[in-house]
Amino acid sequence: MAIAARPMLPAKAHAQEHEDPREHLMHDPRPRGEMNAMVLESMHTAGWRFYAAAGVLTLLVLTCFFYAWGYMIANGLGVAGVNRPVFWGIFLVNTVFWIGISHAGTFISAILRVMKVEGRRPFTRAAELMTTFGLVQAGASIFMHMGRVWLGYLLFPFPNERGLWPNFHSPLMWDFLAINTYLLCSTMYLFLPLIPDIAMVRDHATGWRKIPYRILSLGFRGTEGEWKNLQTAMNIFAFAIIPVMFSVHTIVSWDFAMAMRPGWSSSVFGPYFVIGALHSGMAAVAIVLFMIRSTMKHMKYFIRAEHFNLMGKLMLIVSMAWAYFYFNDYLVMWYGGDKWEKILQEFTEKGPLGYLWFAMLIFNIAVPWLILWNRKWRSTPWLLASVGLIINIGMWLERYIIIPVGLTINRMPFTWRLYVPAIEVFLTIGTISLFLLLYMLASRLIPIIPVWEVQEGQAAHMLRKVGKAEVSTVSEIE
Amino acid sequence: MSTELELPMFTNTSEEDLGGRWGMVIDQDICTGCQACVAACAMENNIPYVGEKDAAYGRSLHWIRIERFWQDAFPEVKMTPYQPMLCQQCHKAPCEPVCPVFASVHSASEDINLQVYNRCVGTRYCSNNCPYQARTFNWRDYTDTRRQPELTTLQNQLNPDVTVRRRGVMEKCTFCIQRIRHSEDAAKADNRPVEDGETLPACAQACPADAIVFGRIDDPESRVSQAARSARGYHQLEELGTLPRVTYLKGETDGHRG
Amino acid sequence: MSEPISRRDFLKLASAGAATTAVLTGCGPASRYVTREPYTKMPEYTYNGQSTFYATTCRECSAGCGLVVRTMQGRAIKVEGNKNNPVNLGKTCARGQVTLQGLYNPDRIQNPGKHTRGANSWSSGQGSGFQEITWIDAINEVSNALSTNEPDEIAFLLGMAPDHLFDLVSELTTAIGAPAPIRFGALGMFEARKTLMQAASRMFGTRGLPSFDIGEAGVVFSFGANFLETWFSPVAQTREFAKFRQRNPAGRGHLVQFEARMSQTGSKADEWIAIRPGSEAQVVLAIGRLVAESRGLPLPPAFANADVEAAAAAADVPSGTLVHLAGVFAQAARALAIPGGAALAQSTGLEAAEAVLALNALVGNLGKAGGVFMAPLAPIADAYHAPASGREMMEFIGKLNSGKIKALFIHGTNPVFELPRALGFMEALAQVPQVISFSSFPDETALQADYVFPDHHGLESWGYQQVATGANAAVLSGSQPVVAPFYNTQSTADVLLAAAHLPRGRAGGQLSQALSYSDELAYIQSKLGSLLADGSGFFSAPEIDTFTAYFQQHGGWWTMDDRRVAPPTADVLNRTFEAAPAALDGDGEFHFVPFVSPILAEAGANKPWLQEVPDPTTTVMWNTWIEINPETAERLGIQDQDVVRVVSPMGSAEATVYKYPAIRPDTIAMPFGQGHTVYGQFAEKRGANPTDLLGTRLNAAGDLTFGSMKIRIEKTGRTRELARLEGALGVYGFDAK
Repeated sequence: MAIAARPMLPAKAHAQEHEDPREHLMHDPRPRGEMNAMVLESMHTAGWRFYAAAGVLTLLVLTCFFYAWGYMIANGLGVAGVNRPVFWGIFLVNTVFWIGISHAGTFISAILRVMKVEGRRPFTRAAELMTTFGLVQAGASIFMHMGRVWLGYLLFPFPNERGLWPNFHSPLMWDFLAINTYLLCSTMYLFLPLIPDIAMVRDHATGWRKIPYRILSLGFRGTEGEWKNLQTAMNIFAFAIIPVMFSVHTIVSWDFAMAMRPGWSSSVFGPYFVIGALHSGMAAVAIVLFMIRSTMKHMKYFIRAEHFNLMGKLMLIVSMAWAYFYFNDYLVMWYGGDKWEKILQEFTEKGPLGYLWFAMLIFNIAVPWLILWNRKWRSTPWLLASVGLIINIGMWLERYIIIPVGLTINRMPFTWRLYVPAIEVFLTIGTISLFLLLYMLASRLIPIIPVWEVQEGQAAHMLRKVGKAEVSTVSEIE
Repeated sequence: MSTELELPMFTNTSEEDLGGRWGMVIDQDICTGCQACVAACAMENNIPYVGEKDAAYGRSLHWIRIERFWQDAFPEVKMTPYQPMLCQQCHKAPCEPVCPVFASVHSASEDINLQVYNRCVGTRYCSNNCPYQARTFNWRDYTDTRRQPELTTLQNQLNPDVTVRRRGVMEKCTFCIQRIRHSEDAAKADNRPVEDGETLPACAQACPADAIVFGRIDDPESRVSQAARSARGYHQLEELGTLPRVTYLKGETDGHRG
Repeated sequence: MSEPISRRDFLKLASAGAATTAVLTGCGPASRYVTREPYTKMPEYTYNGQSTFYATTCRECSAGCGLVVRTMQGRAIKVEGNKNNPVNLGKTCARGQVTLQGLYNPDRIQNPGKHTRGANSWSSGQGSGFQEITWIDAINEVSNALSTNEPDEIAFLLGMAPDHLFDLVSELTTAIGAPAPIRFGALGMFEARKTLMQAASRMFGTRGLPSFDIGEAGVVFSFGANFLETWFSPVAQTREFAKFRQRNPAGRGHLVQFEARMSQTGSKADEWIAIRPGSEAQVVLAIGRLVAESRGLPLPPAFANADVEAAAAAADVPSGTLVHLAGVFAQAARALAIPGGAALAQSTGLEAAEAVLALNALVGNLGKAGGVFMAPLAPIADAYHAPASGREMMEFIGKLNSGKIKALFIHGTNPVFELPRALGFMEALAQVPQVISFSSFPDETALQADYVFPDHHGLESWGYQQVATGANAAVLSGSQPVVAPFYNTQSTADVLLAAAHLPRGRAGGQLSQALSYSDELAYIQSKLGSLLADGSGFFSAPEIDTFTAYFQQHGGWWTMDDRRVAPPTADVLNRTFEAAPAALDGDGEFHFVPFVSPILAEAGANKPWLQEVPDPTTTVMWNTWIEINPETAERLGIQDQDVVRVVSPMGSAEATVYKYPAIRPDTIAMPFGQGHTVYGQFAEKRGANPTDLLGTRLNAAGDLTFGSMKIRIEKTGRTRELARLEGALGVYGFDAK
């Protein structure tokens, strides 16, 4: 029996895995000043394409967001497509969608930090920005769906002569509190790691621009004591914001799970929505990374194939988890045998909107599973971003199926009616445009890359020879 | 089968006299689907009309609707008995816990569900949670004479006892609480209880078949209590445990069918 | 809501409401005066925040239901039924409820004026076809028309309700020797009233309208009578139906409805028998024969020619079904058969009606509880005057066409819209030099008038209405204004009386003498005088002013006892009938069933809330629809929302399809009530009018055979969504739109 000799040493065996370790960001350090200069240059350089894009987005925001919303406030929700029985439509879909996207930021900057995944270093802020801006869009969408948004302050507990509190039994109040908490915390958590980089920008800024940076940097000098305080604060926040993240989307899911609707009052909605949020969030991060890398100067240094590979692996795992939860929800409904839920399932799959359900499964399960198992494909930025886009569309469809399609079927068949979106389409375009525009503005004002974190990581990573292999000094979760 | 859960009751805590508990019986065997109740309700409660386009899209504001379905096909086709559907004034109303601003509350004295128009911000969670789909929403300003000048003369007909709602506000059947309050006031002034049949909502008053019976269900001898004890009586979606105040009497057959 | 009448309330209710009309007191001689009071001392009935209720009569159809209208500060707020009026006993139908939107309709004609025919403009200005004139000029015009034309050149066309205006105009025409006024309404046409009357007359030898005691019957066979919708007195009949069903000493009543298209009434039936249009007479006779056999009676001559197999084949119903039904009818303790408009609207219609009356005679229910009676003659009526049949209208149209009529006065009817176009009424109007309309609304007939002198709305009017059927008592329902007139309108009766009193030519003197009443109120009071001595009413009074005050307060006068008359039973079963199939018109594939929309009826289309009340069987709002059997639709490749055109030799109409499960596959149905070309912004250019397809065939009694047309369908390739309250997904399944 001839057995091919297998080398014991890991060098060749790991060849596929690592190729040249110096391709990794962590093993490819540059002088600090040079890295800072790269980041500053990417902040301050803008080609004509940037201005064109910003111009188009501004136009879209003005028309599809502000004007359209103003028109809707002035004329009532009748200009949208909601009716009886579909009282909630795309506005709620968008709300859940944007909150979902915002979860990715927290996952990457908090969970990956806590789990010490080094690959997260260059894009924690990009993800955290997604959280903040995503929550802005979610908040806008929630306010858009209100019939009398100018009375929205009634949801806020404030002293009044009638002695009225808002109703804390209502899941919408829980939403209100949870999202506000999340927005506050994640803004803080965005800000803390931003301080050293703002300080770096301050040090290089001139003229009137120096003033806001000086204020925001809170006098950070980079002393050991300051770093220690900062690390402590960030660690506390990292741990603290993880339960907030899980609870926020669970609470959002309870908007539906606490309702008496067939298909909605399912106890699995809590974790199901959290996983769904991660699913769409990760996919959105992949898109964002691709866009940053392709459009901003020097980003090809910071964001490399390895990061896409990392995101791709996470996306694959999460999509499997999502598929499990979806199957769980589906199966329970199916064998539970409730008459109305069975009708709902039949309507979802075989009714006039059945193609949406089918598309959702393809986009959320089939596409990631077919593509993301392959390392080379995972590491290809444009491919991963495309898969990310498809997953996002799939997750948007998933919420569309839960909300408008789910609301079509209730226990009073005489009222069943389809939903036809109207001005919601424009307002969706408006929120997406606003998100992108805010992102683009942020990229001009603050460094997208948390340079100090990258430098911190690079300082810790060295290559040591162990036998014939070169091994990194920092162990990574692959 | 409903479990006795100790849910908070969302009752107001003012010291009104505990007046009667009001309820309704609808006899589906004699309801002819004539829509007199629908028209009467609209005229009494200042319900605006929404026009063909919005009505086609399910945005009409009918507080009461007459449902019917079909069974089998020609020539054995039958229409199911007409089913007037309105707010059931559930004792355990699902619309109450979910309103974030307490615009949907329970009345301690009349034991019905109240919609507080000026508090409503229009999140529409209540209508999503209503298993009877009894609630409607003002999708536009349907009463603005600036947008619709033809309303100027029509608005002379508006009932001053009922709020005219603007866009963004939920509305639903109130058991004509303005009439209940009016007769309670009159009875109080005369120092006597409200008599059975003294106050009727517009629908019960108009119904030519007298299919809608209304009165005090806490009085076991009232007409509505007696009617509710019929063997044909049932509640809609009873399994949800909403404890509605409306009892339906099943449409019957008499066995002559060949 | 009517409260116990206290003395204080009596004074409140016995009021006039209008600023310049008389204040009648309960005691003393006739007092008409205007009082001047300081503004701070308001009359009792206008306290802020308090409602005042006025009893009056609904004018939306001619049933004569009593209303009590709640007003507040001079505005009519809500219509409620008059609990004491025996017709409706406090209940109202949807049309009565929404009558307030007629009173306050934005498209009411607000002033009298000279009108250019065909111009859809109703106020002066902007090069319009309407020149507002004063009421003095208007009255002068009327007076001229009455005086300068020969009496036989003057004609009056009135609405269906036998009201005080009809009585006044009858007196007027008698006084000058003009032809008697004609009353016409679409409901009368669709009920085939003349046929029913003539059947009763020929079978029972009595003149009048038969009435059917549904409430006490055990089994009711309705041959196309949609008695829960618009047939005769629907509110009363619905009450009777409720009694028939659930408060019936004979047990729950069993209703069988014979019609090609399941109407709302048919939907409440325990059995719906979808007989082919045209076979009604044969079916009734076949059942009669089978009932006689089932009961072991000798076969009467009436049913001798009945052929059960032929009838079953003509009706497209198994003969076993007829046998079963006859058994049900025969074994019932109290069986009642009702002839409805659709059955009578065939060439065999008169025979069908007589056969139904014979069937009733066969089971011996004439004059018994749960059976057939003659409706009470209304108080102060000399006889029952039926509205015009199709033949009478065609004769009238012929007269107009001949140019004989020089002045035509029209009030309370809209024949240009309601009559089938094939009869040519609009073209005939062109031959009349002067058409004066008293319409309150800009309808199609007013569009063809030279002058429009708008009458008050019904709720602004004095008057009375004789009730033809619907109550066991004899009922004279009273009207009084519930609000002051909203616009510059005048009561037509007042206009005619004022015109009569103008000294003018030949007719002037005669008229003035004959119609010596100072105004409408005086006329009404004079007519009520005959009731003073009648002690059988539910109130009495020592003299006419008190009587009139009570009449207004209570909303009318009616007897306390049952005034129905048992029809004579001799000879009823000795008539013979042919039992032939009906003659049909048109060459299309489908039978055409036009039916009156139970919500809009004749004149409801201009009220936006009525448009938004769903049709009971289809839940469609705001439009016309065409009902097709779903299998037929599939065979023809027609979907819901498709717009199709229905075509007869007389005309065509387009509307959206509604796949209706309960209609014969060879039948198409279409509601009547929409399809106005004018009539206000809520009615115009909406839907289609099925009478455009109808022909001119008459049955033996002279009613139009609106059930005899056969039509074809053409696809237009267009779609138009119907506003349906029902969710099609829930009612018809996920494939439905």
